[in-house]
Amino acid sequence: MKKVRDIRKSDIRIDMTPMVDVIMLLLTFFMLTATFRIMESEAVEVNLPYSSDADTTKSPDVRVITMTLTKGDDIFVDVDSPVLRNEIFGNEFGIGIYHPDSTSQSEYSKTGGKVGKSDQEFRRPVFEIKNKAQFEKILTDIKSKGPKDDKGNSALKVIVKGDQDTDFGVMEDLMASLKETRNTIFHMLTQLKREQE
Amino acid sequence: MAGGGFDSPDEGQQRGKQHKKVIRAGVRIDMTPMVDVIMLLLTFFMLTTTLAKPQVLKINLPKGEEKDKLKVDMGTVMFLRVDSTGAMYSFMGKSEGTEGPGEKVELKGLKAKLESQASKNKANNLDFLVLLKFDRRMKYKTMIGILDEINLASIDKKYAFLKMEEDDLKKIEEAKKNPQ
Repeated sequence: MKKVRDIRKSDIRIDMTPMVDVIMLLLTFFMLTATFRIMESEAVEVNLPYSSDADTTKSPDVRVITMTLTKGDDIFVDVDSPVLRNEIFGNEFGIGIYHPDSTSQSEYSKTGGKVGKSDQEFRRPVFEIKNKAQFEKILTDIKSKGPKDDKGNSALKVIVKGDQDTDFGVMEDLMASLKETRNTIFHMLTQLKREQE
Repeated sequence: MAGGGFDSPDEGQQRGKQHKKVIRAGVRIDMTPMVDVIMLLLTFFMLTTTLAKPQVLKINLPKGEEKDKLKVDMGTVMFLRVDSTGAMYSFMGKSEGTEGPGEKVELKGLKAKLESQASKNKANNLDFLVLLKFDRRMKYKTMIGILDEINLASIDKKYAFLKMEEDDLKKIEEAKKNPQ
């Protein structure tokens, strides 16, 4: 009976090197993308409106002043440099909050620290901006202390991240302030509209 | 067995050998194609995540001071007044300084409306300027929708934001009462 003889102990060897290579790549990739989610750069999440304009450019993500308009009609002012944040808002992770409508309270103080879409408490230290004059002063300060381009003009771009259900009045006030502080070019973030929507 | 003749002559010898020295069959799995596929998938997902990034609508506000008044020919102007619910009404300006009656416009029809009016003005050698008067309680997405339509329309992108005043609200009310 030859079949019995043919049973040999098979020794399976798997070369782990390529797998390790791939895993390392994946790890690097996820580490890099996950950087934007950690606490210090926690952003105010909003439902962006849809637009279908084809020749819009992708949003710049460095050297930006982000104005987030929440549906509670607050304006959150954020810059992407910790140094600048420290100078303006007194903390490396600070974020400015401005409620243009003086007759009502900001969503942040009403809900005890919840902002935007999130139902969790906002962890970044908040710097309250009390009035239009202070808001405009902060904008000017950010511009003057922030990075400059070759010609000595501010290299910071203004990005407006508005929630779908923000009142236009907030936008109107923001535009007035932006015009006042000579930020006449700004970008509004949108999501790409698909036909069925 | 039919095929048994191959190694039958030294059967006894081999069996003896096997007991002393175990022949191990090394099963090797070639990982190269798998790695190739994973790399491809990785590249694919990296590229698609980048494409999903939000896009921007660029706005360029006029640089002038508030006191710098700009005179425009009313005949070139189209007013777009939007109330708090997001209902849009268009009003054509007339060269003598008055406005035509309001007309309700849907967001879908806005592009066509802008294009037809712009070409009409062009035929008369006139500019075309859209003046936007939005109610403060109107939603932000309505504004984006309107700006998007203006950007999509094949016209000169000339528009301005103006403050909504009492007078404008009255005009919307009138347009609501007398639909065209």
